[in-house]
Amino acid sequence: MTEQLESDLREALRARAAQVPAAAAARLSELDYRPRTRRVRPPVAIGAMASAAAAAGTLAMIISLGAGASSAFAGWTAKPTKAAPGQLAAASAACQRSQSSVAGLPLALADTRGPFTFAVYANRTSIASCMQGPSFVSLSESQSSSPVSVPADRVMLSSAHRSQRGGKAFGFAYGRTGAGVSAVALVLDDGTEVQATVDNGWFIGWWPSGAQLKAADLTTPTGSATQTFDLSSNAVIRSPQAPGGCNTNKDCPGGSASGSSAGAGSDTQGDMNTNGGGGSVGQLKGESLSSSQ
Amino acid sequence: MNSRRADFDRFVADSTDTLLRAAYLIVWDLGEAEDLVQETLFEVARRWPRVRRMERPLGYARRILVNRALSGADRRARRRRELVVPMPPEPALSTGANDVFDGQDELMGALAALPPRQRAVLVLRYFLDLPEAEVAAALKCSLGTVKSTASRGLARLEQAMRETNDPRSIPT
Repeated sequence: MTEQLESDLREALRARAAQVPAAAAARLSELDYRPRTRRVRPPVAIGAMASAAAAAGTLAMIISLGAGASSAFAGWTAKPTKAAPGQLAAASAACQRSQSSVAGLPLALADTRGPFTFAVYANRTSIASCMQGPSFVSLSESQSSSPVSVPADRVMLSSAHRSQRGGKAFGFAYGRTGAGVSAVALVLDDGTEVQATVDNGWFIGWWPSGAQLKAADLTTPTGSATQTFDLSSNAVIRSPQAPGGCNTNKDCPGGSASGSSAGAGSDTQGDMNTNGGGGSVGQLKGESLSSSQ
Repeated sequence: MNSRRADFDRFVADSTDTLLRAAYLIVWDLGEAEDLVQETLFEVARRWPRVRRMERPLGYARRILVNRALSGADRRARRRRELVVPMPPEPALSTGANDVFDGQDELMGALAALPPRQRAVLVLRYFLDLPEAEVAAALKCSLGTVKSTASRGLARLEQAMRETNDPRSIPT
């Protein structure tokens, strides 16, 4: 019996192992595992020191990724990268295979960072997002939405969220831009700055850590402005109920929730704050705006 | 320097597939397995000047992989239980890669239910065909522990298969 069992076990393990796509190993083989050496050049002037300090958050994150601290997201960059040939089409196909609601919505904007594609699909009444990486597809539920009017030189968050993939935390934010906003830099509570993709009246940014979105530095025709957000778990952010919509996922078992919800009770909770129900930016509690020119 | 780099690149090319498949069988999840392999190779790269002089660099990588898989097993299980997200981060994706029950359904189901350490021993022993001494090295334990762990694992599989094949266990 034991010999038969051992033989069956070998066969079963081989069959199970054969399920691993060959492309997965190939992708892993292509990564650069060599440790990066970091040479810190002393700043030559106070101005340079300030620049170095400002860049420290981003730099620290990139280095920690290189060291494998968040290797699930190896290849991520703080600035969007140009999509590789076929990358957008592959992501779109993967997202549409995984969620039928995406299939019915036009693409609003896609953000590419290394091998990762984060796409937002939206029409006048629904929004869905989809993130695709080398070995996974992560989707949000669709949310109800109604036409919104974003004031010039400002942005409106549709979603800010923290989650995890393979035990590694990540966060993302996307939303709409008002007229005149040509660039958006998302500022996280750990000091990291993530350059968002901006186009078509939308912005998207994501980051491979559990940091929370704190503010957005906006580039506008009149200079730059900082729009801050209070997305702490205690902040209650409600937008008016969309016609025929609802305010919580519980109320909307079909997955068309608007408004806000937040997990509780563990350090792996996700926080989502949406304003997809047709509210204006002024309804984001704790939000403020400062400008410099 | 270039030779050292070429050695490492060759090591990655030769060993990634084996490490990934073994990791997949131990942690039973492709995403987790890929993370583990990446972390393992980063670690090997960091110590490559020393590792490349070893008799079996792959054995060293295997040891890192298994230890990380087992040390993270409880944490991963706890995290899965605690995860509360308003939006599902990982809805089902029909790649077939995570489908557990096909082919050797019962045996695979029983294997999946084993404690991670027992499963790791069986994977190293019966998938990688490692001698017991190398399994012991990978798990940093004694030969006796490997033998008893493998024996207990096989006994549990046998018991599960017996119950599955026992007509009395079939609900009526």
